[in-house]
Amino acid sequence: MFFTLLKKELFVEFRSREVTLSMLVFGLSIILTFALSSNVSPTIIANYAPGMFWLMVLFVAVIGVHRTFSYEKEFDAFSMLISAPIDRGFIFLTKWISGFIFLTIMEGLILIPFFKFLMIDFPSQPWIAIGTTLLINCAIMAIASLVSGIAMRARLSEVLLPILLFPLVSPVLIAATKISGSIMVGDPYSFWKIWLLIILTVIVIFGLVGYTLFDFITEE
Amino acid sequence: MKPFFNNKTNRSGLILIAAMMLFNVWNVIMNTPMVPEQHWAQKIFYIHVPSAWVGFLSYFVVMVAGILFFMKKDDYWDLVGLAAAEIGTVFMSLVLITGPIWATPIWGKPWIWEPRLTTTLILFLIYIGYFMMRTFGGHIERVKRYAAAVGIIAFVDVPIIFVSVKFWTPEIQSHPQVEMAQQPSEILIPFLLSLSIFTLLYVLMLKYRIHVIRINSRVRANV
Amino acid sequence: MLSVSNISKSFDHRTVLNNITFHVEVGETVIIMGKNGAGKSTLLRIIARIMACDKGEILFQNNDLLNGSPLVRQKLLYVGHASAMYTILSAIENLQLALRLRGTPVEISRIQDQLNYYGLTNQSNDPISIYSQGMLQRLKLAYASLASWNLLLIDEPFSGLDTEGIALVNKSLHRWKKLGKSMMIVLHNQSRAEELGDRILRIKKGLIA
Repeated sequence: MFFTLLKKELFVEFRSREVTLSMLVFGLSIILTFALSSNVSPTIIANYAPGMFWLMVLFVAVIGVHRTFSYEKEFDAFSMLISAPIDRGFIFLTKWISGFIFLTIMEGLILIPFFKFLMIDFPSQPWIAIGTTLLINCAIMAIASLVSGIAMRARLSEVLLPILLFPLVSPVLIAATKISGSIMVGDPYSFWKIWLLIILTVIVIFGLVGYTLFDFITEE
Repeated sequence: MKPFFNNKTNRSGLILIAAMMLFNVWNVIMNTPMVPEQHWAQKIFYIHVPSAWVGFLSYFVVMVAGILFFMKKDDYWDLVGLAAAEIGTVFMSLVLITGPIWATPIWGKPWIWEPRLTTTLILFLIYIGYFMMRTFGGHIERVKRYAAAVGIIAFVDVPIIFVSVKFWTPEIQSHPQVEMAQQPSEILIPFLLSLSIFTLLYVLMLKYRIHVIRINSRVRANV
Repeated sequence: MLSVSNISKSFDHRTVLNNITFHVEVGETVIIMGKNGAGKSTLLRIIARIMACDKGEILFQNNDLLNGSPLVRQKLLYVGHASAMYTILSAIENLQLALRLRGTPVEISRIQDQLNYYGLTNQSNDPISIYSQGMLQRLKLAYASLASWNLLLIDEPFSGLDTEGIALVNKSLHRWKKLGKSMMIVLHNQSRAEELGDRILRIKKGLIA
């Protein structure tokens, strides 16, 4: 059942491309906005780059995760999932994993425009940067998928989602900025170990909480 | 349903706690020592820290109420959660007001990203979202479940928020006060007294607010 | 087969279902009737676990439906107003998905046979977003024909159908009745209700009249 659900998430997106496309275009718009609104020296931009990157990812994640849940409301498709004899925690897990995949794809496509338009150097340790980025994406999408599941049926769900999500995800944003900043300047692992632990803690705790709570929040 | 203060225990509690709070204010102003360099500003500490304690206690109650709501499927726990969320937010607002009042003469500016204040601000914003969820979440019977879920998630996030903010700006010192265990008794005893009075006040406010919400709920159900 | 006890449901304190209690025996067809807004669809959605009730208990095949394992609803199928399918996927893809989620995957040839029976062969590979109301209704019946169930909860199965569609649905419902399957059907038409049902439950002001 789990893999059936996951394949559904990926197949629907492959067919429609709504989520990744809207995330990509919005991400590019944000980069443009950053570039136009920050006419400062490259040194200052480089210092702010990690924060700008993760802020962009956060905004884009809101768009993406909102879309992955809102298409379930069309033709009441979500009823197919929740009336089926499946563990509803699987719905959360598959939304989480698929959201992570879409976010990672978007980041992969937007990385070069981000670095080039803002004239920032690529990190000197690219594989470590990629690995930590994947973990941070995982943490962001764990919280985002859970909050989106809660806000999904609400009036003004597109407003409630960022209002609830941004304060909740603040530790991830802080940790992400610190990790990326450290990696960009080549700090050793011991400098950013604590932030990685925070990211892993978020993944475990929100993964468990989301899996448990989804059973209670999916019904109308 | 009888008015809350018709009950003798509640009435006595109100009078007692009101008297204790007046004594508390008098005690803080008249009897607590002046801390060198902080002077009168430091006396806010006797209000600020107990407010923070009550705020966090209240949000903990929201989380517990949320868990019990899901486990027992009893609407009473939703009332408790809502009452605790409201009172907690009131006290957190007090923290966010008294914190800068205390900080301005000592740090030279009303706000720096001190870990405890920052955690309070983030939690305050989460609960603004909680109340917006309550308002825009749909029909009340559904909103109860969402509110319980948000209450659980919010408090689960608190330790993570605090640790992350603490390590975010380690160069920023915490509130300009020495650790409680090292305080002299002239400060510690009034502080513990204030803390106890605030806690009793919280219990009374919680009971009262649950009573009012229950009446409102019944009125709406009968309309 | 199904035992519903003291089910209550309110929306913003407006009581829609008030301590509803009834049973459905094995092989029985129960028709639910009532005015618009009486709570007929709400009742079916609560039994299908799509909507939460405020209080009450439901036993399906002697298992707790509301608090038990998801597998309890394995043999319970809900077909509602909306198609409950993905607009971007075709009829075949939606049916394959829905059946796999129920743990009973079906070969594509059988799916195509049923779509052919319900007159949807030409559009079987088109996304269902282009389907008319009548076509979606036929698709839902095709789903009910393919799925494995002991109790069917079906909400206004004749809605939006042309004469041919109505005949097809009528035939299917009678066929399932003959096979000894249990059904709960929401209907508005009295004569059809009397023809199909073993018993009629009328919901009025939140109660079974």
